[in-house]
Amino acid sequence: MIGVLSLVDMLGMFNNRKDTDIDPATPVDEVPCVVLDTELTGLELKKNSIVSIGAIAMTGTRIDFASTLYMLVKPETALTSKSVVVHGIMPSDLLEVPDIATALQKLSAFVGNRVIVGHFISLDMGFINKYLKLFQNRVLRNPVLDTCRLHDWLRSEEKGFGRHFDNDLPNKDLFTLARRYGIEVSGAHNALSDAFITAQVYQRLVRYLQRHGVQTLRDLLSIGKS
Amino acid sequence: MVIMIHEDVIEFLSKVPPFQFLDEKTLASLAGSLSMDFYPKDTVILKQDGKVSEYLRIIKKGGVKVSIQTDEGEDIVVDYRGDGDNFGLWSIIEQNTQKTTVVAVDDTICYLIPKDIVQNLLDTNAVFTEYFLKSHLSKYIDKTYNDMLTRSSYYGGTDRILFTTQVGDIAIKEVISIREDASIQDAARLMSKHKVSSIIVLSDGDLPSGIVTDRDLREKVVSRGRDVQEPVSNVMSPPLIRVDARDYCFEAVLKMIKHNIHHILVVKDGALRGVLTNHDFMILQGGSPLTFAKDIENQQSIEGLVPVSQKITRIIRLLLKEGAKASNITRIISELNDRMVKKVLEIAERKYGQPPVPYCWIIFGSEGRKEQTFKTDQDNAIIHADPANEAEAAAIAAYFPDFTLFVKQGLMQLGFPACPAEYMANNPRWCQPLSVWENYFHKWVTMPNPEAVLKSLIFFDFRPLHGETSLAVDLRHYLVGLLREQNVFFARMAGVATLNRPPLGFFRTFAVEKDGEHKDALNLKIRGIGPLIDMVRLFALEGGVTETATLDRVNALRETNPFIIELGDEIEHAFEFINLLRIEHQLDQMDRGLPLDNFINPTTLTNLERKSLKESFQLILKIQDGITEFYSAGMVN
Repeated sequence: MIGVLSLVDMLGMFNNRKDTDIDPATPVDEVPCVVLDTELTGLELKKNSIVSIGAIAMTGTRIDFASTLYMLVKPETALTSKSVVVHGIMPSDLLEVPDIATALQKLSAFVGNRVIVGHFISLDMGFINKYLKLFQNRVLRNPVLDTCRLHDWLRSEEKGFGRHFDNDLPNKDLFTLARRYGIEVSGAHNALSDAFITAQVYQRLVRYLQRHGVQTLRDLLSIGKS
Repeated sequence: MVIMIHEDVIEFLSKVPPFQFLDEKTLASLAGSLSMDFYPKDTVILKQDGKVSEYLRIIKKGGVKVSIQTDEGEDIVVDYRGDGDNFGLWSIIEQNTQKTTVVAVDDTICYLIPKDIVQNLLDTNAVFTEYFLKSHLSKYIDKTYNDMLTRSSYYGGTDRILFTTQVGDIAIKEVISIREDASIQDAARLMSKHKVSSIIVLSDGDLPSGIVTDRDLREKVVSRGRDVQEPVSNVMSPPLIRVDARDYCFEAVLKMIKHNIHHILVVKDGALRGVLTNHDFMILQGGSPLTFAKDIENQQSIEGLVPVSQKITRIIRLLLKEGAKASNITRIISELNDRMVKKVLEIAERKYGQPPVPYCWIIFGSEGRKEQTFKTDQDNAIIHADPANEAEAAAIAAYFPDFTLFVKQGLMQLGFPACPAEYMANNPRWCQPLSVWENYFHKWVTMPNPEAVLKSLIFFDFRPLHGETSLAVDLRHYLVGLLREQNVFFARMAGVATLNRPPLGFFRTFAVEKDGEHKDALNLKIRGIGPLIDMVRLFALEGGVTETATLDRVNALRETNPFIIELGDEIEHAFEFINLLRIEHQLDQMDRGLPLDNFINPTTLTNLERKSLKESFQLILKIQDGITEFYSAGMVN
């Protein structure tokens, strides 16, 4: 069957090439990325769905306030009382918002070929790609960096030099980690403000990683790839 | 829609000059165009001779050191900047290579504004441009004042009448006047007819030549049984004290207090435009400095003066509330204190009889410069006429010790502490004939050892307060002549003026006291006002200026002194600003029952105040460096 490619496959190839466009030798402080966070109805990929998406663009360590995205999404599954407590989004908030297909289209356009950064990002990517696959039969193949992994690597490095860290953080949720890096956190979880906090964590991580010899996107991916 | 993460940015920028002066819409759109970066301690943010920055950076939190490397490889720290400060503007504007190296001295978060947005703000926003492209100290000071005035509750009053109302606005417009050759009776009739308390007397050319008030009719006509058919010019009060219609009311009040008058003429472009009376002010604002002056006037004993003197704090508060500049506050306070001291001297003269020879009561130090705020130590002395013979000398020796002791104790009762260094007329050394004073001055100037220089600093700010003014005028003229070409003396004075350097070279903008009672505080008197006073005195004495008040000296030197020509306005503003901070601080201490001092904690200041203070300090340093070079003060050490 070689030589017979479906349109979908061709699009997929095109996408794939575009997704990995960035030169791995790009210095860390010039890497274009999008910091991403989603709010979900729950943590189970099969049962739950996306309620909102927040994203903010960065270049290297510079957070770009001019380039942000925030969308509430009509969830494919029912809101749970538990999730309402976490992110404060009520069913009534979601009556006139885009469906997930439209939202993901916007997100893809926003992300473009940038590196995607997030905290425990594999969870968010799982949901995003589940729906992209479902509605568009494709997935985002952008390089993905997890701030949690970057933090772990840095911590082990610094431990090796016997500095700063006497003990591990009890947990590594975003707010705990953010406070650890001296970032102000307050208020309820919201996809955009969490993305902004994640961006600030990433910003600091990259600065400290630079001092540990992490120079290029390639280096970053080798230690923080999700 | 304002995106929520922009709100923090807007909130921050709305407290930081010059962004705080932008309107809401501009700020919101600015917030949406920024980016934010993080620089851990020791990060080199900009490098000298490196790539031009594409951004203006505003420090959200942290601090940076700006330095220049000389061709010899020496690093010179230009500045430290902290929260709310910015850097990188010049390389944006000049599109040249980066001129300085900027290093984070603490973990630092910056907001970055793209070059084209900055350029656009500079092109379209006057306040923004002023801030960056002109010396902002002078432009800003008014804004700083407004900031201070609206900040705390007791400045929130609505009546700033004295300082916001121009004389022309409240003066009685329809002036009742009469010809010089009219009779007293005609004048009185006209006054009754128009129900006014004063009438202006006009000369042939319709120019005002005097004023007749109710008081003149009472004191000069009725009580003396004068013929009411005499020409009115016989009882009018010349010379006329006048103010310009564009002057603010406090100027008028000041003149009225000074000359002890209740009516003042308002002129505009040389022509008579109206009359202003004490009564007009009373109506305008119940309880004024004028009433206070009158209170003093009415007292006949030290005991009677005590309660009046205690009210002076209230006046200061009132003036601050009305938005007075520091120099206006100190001028009015000095005027009132002058009157109080004069009154004490009059009481003393009544008690001990007229002195055997004419004398002049002189005051110096801050009193001499009319820069008093709250009660300061007594600094006074007596110049008396040289005795003609032995008998007169004996009479002098018998009279002044008791007389001056009475005055000293009286002033202490009124809350002016005795001078610890005994610079008081009660000290025989400072109660001397003109010839001895001339000898003192001659010795200090020609043999300027440290003690002589110290005395010069204090005494050379003298001015006459009471008695035979010509004695003080003669001494001043002697001093002006004496000081010509006294380069060694001036070099010594220059050394003093450059001795206490204001603190800048520390992280977060200010160096503060490192330990002791005033840890983390900054001495505004020694580090700020003192150097300014000293340098302006130096210029004034060298330029033959006879004024004693610092700002008057500055004004007198505007055409002649190279430092003042260049920086006169800025000196004036810096002086005003630091003094206002001091007055506010001391008033606050007084409210809280604390002893008064000059130590302020820089962290309690607003961004704008910090900025203005830092600018003031930079100005002082600049002039000090100029003085060091100009007077070769280095040789003297």
